[in-house]
Amino acid sequence: MHTLAVYAREAHAQIVSTWRTPQFLIPSLALPLLFYGVIGLGLSKGREEIAHVMLANYVIFAAIAPAMFGFGAAVAAEREAKLIELKQIAPLPAGGYLAGRLVAALALVATAIGLLGVLAWFGGVKMVPWRWAATLGLGLGSAVPFALVGLNIGLRMGSQGAAAVANLLFLSFCLFGGLWMPLDLMPAWIAKVAEVTPSYHLGKLSMMLSGMAPMADVQRHVTVLAVISSAAVAGAWAAWRRQAA
Amino acid sequence: MSLNLPPPVAALSKAIKRRGATLALNGLDLMIRPGQCVALLGPNGAGKSTSVALLTGRLRPDAGEAFLFGGDPRDVAARGRMGVMLQEAGLPRTLTVREQVDLFRGYYRKPRPLDEIIRLAGLEGLERRRCGALSGGQQRRVQFALAIAGRPDFLVLDEPTTGMDIDARRALWTAVRAEIARGCAVLLTTHHLDEAEALADRIVVIDHGQVIADGAPEAIKARVSGVAIRCRTRLTDAELAGLARVTGVSRDGGRVTLLTTSAPATLRELLARDETVDDLTVAGASLEDAVTRLVGSSTQRQAEVA
Repeated sequence: MHTLAVYAREAHAQIVSTWRTPQFLIPSLALPLLFYGVIGLGLSKGREEIAHVMLANYVIFAAIAPAMFGFGAAVAAEREAKLIELKQIAPLPAGGYLAGRLVAALALVATAIGLLGVLAWFGGVKMVPWRWAATLGLGLGSAVPFALVGLNIGLRMGSQGAAAVANLLFLSFCLFGGLWMPLDLMPAWIAKVAEVTPSYHLGKLSMMLSGMAPMADVQRHVTVLAVISSAAVAGAWAAWRRQAA
Repeated sequence: MSLNLPPPVAALSKAIKRRGATLALNGLDLMIRPGQCVALLGPNGAGKSTSVALLTGRLRPDAGEAFLFGGDPRDVAARGRMGVMLQEAGLPRTLTVREQVDLFRGYYRKPRPLDEIIRLAGLEGLERRRCGALSGGQQRRVQFALAIAGRPDFLVLDEPTTGMDIDARRALWTAVRAEIARGCAVLLTTHHLDEAEALADRIVVIDHGQVIADGAPEAIKARVSGVAIRCRTRLTDAELAGLARVTGVSRDGGRVTLLTTSAPATLRELLARDETVDDLTVAGASLEDAVTRLVGSSTQRQAEVA
């Protein structure tokens, strides 16, 4: 009971903290909405199919920034400020800090994706309810692998370097994952790079769930995502232990 | 050791810890009993921070053992009885003082009332300020508030008054004394010897990862029998060390401190050798003199061994 309350308080504090950081909050919410509003709905006027495909890609896009920056850059900054050290000494149950951060990131992603969904609905995108739930749900869930990748940056790099690398990965994941532009419009080598990005596989799955692509290769996509996530968990665990040891 | 002594609050037993190429702790023994205020003194790199890191469970000893309330310092239950003020620790810029203190209160099972913490740490009027908008001294007070939030039985203060002005330092001393009076044990590391003298009932001097002196402040001072002569002089350290009855030489800016077992004997020679001697004072040796002297002779021994 006490432990649960501690987790809840920690999560609450992280959410309040996020809410008060406009330089993080606004890009996380506004960027996907703006891009989708202008490109997804504005340019596709009348062609709901394109708006639909773009929604599938943008729910993944919306999860990347909060996860990368909220975990990568912010953890590095707090680690540098010895804030995490103090929390490791305090009788905060193991992982309480990270769980709090994850909840805050998920809350932000959920808000961004929820707004995207509303925008798409008004823009004329039509899906049966379970496809809506699956598409938006996958977007929310995709924050977890991205957060794990971000955590590896945050625990291993200084705050300056972490911010730079988080930015680089953020852009690479969007571009090479084909979230902004379909991969078949880009050179072939980019498709090769796409194979190792979580965003590419999540984007593919999102297309299938939203009904814009036939179910195919699901096992391969899921396997690659599982491998990337496990590697990120192992890497983050080792880094967390090393700084505690 | 007699059996009726209360069990220690925290202890290091033959602790060895390597950090990079240096041996930070070289078989250190340290025991803190309930209600004691122990000041851990020593030059930079002597092993103070490493000792604190071991006792708070941030580091594990390579060999030997660290205990907190008889158990592992990493145990959440043991950590729940400890409050820690780390050197140079940060605060979340976006949370208010009240929110941050309340968050830490929540980690403990029987926390102090929020208003009591705010009052004890001297943070009245700052509760609604964001931590990022506080001055360095105010941030240290918030760190102190976090350390006492759980009404700890063991308080670790690592350089607690860095960045504080004189009034804030004295206010913090008063608050620490109140914690000690309540029965809380304290481990204090500091560069301010007056701080150690004001708070501690036991001084442990360490150097090169080993304890070189351990006792009440008076006992430590008594280890340096005699008197301190302070002055400006053009004599070199070697010449000064050669003066009659001199037991220690140290420099602080332009001034020299000579420890001597006989002030008249030393002074006669000093004045005969250097007629330019200026700014001369003679006083009983302070704790600082004692610690400087103890560390100095330990370093010399180390050099002889090596």
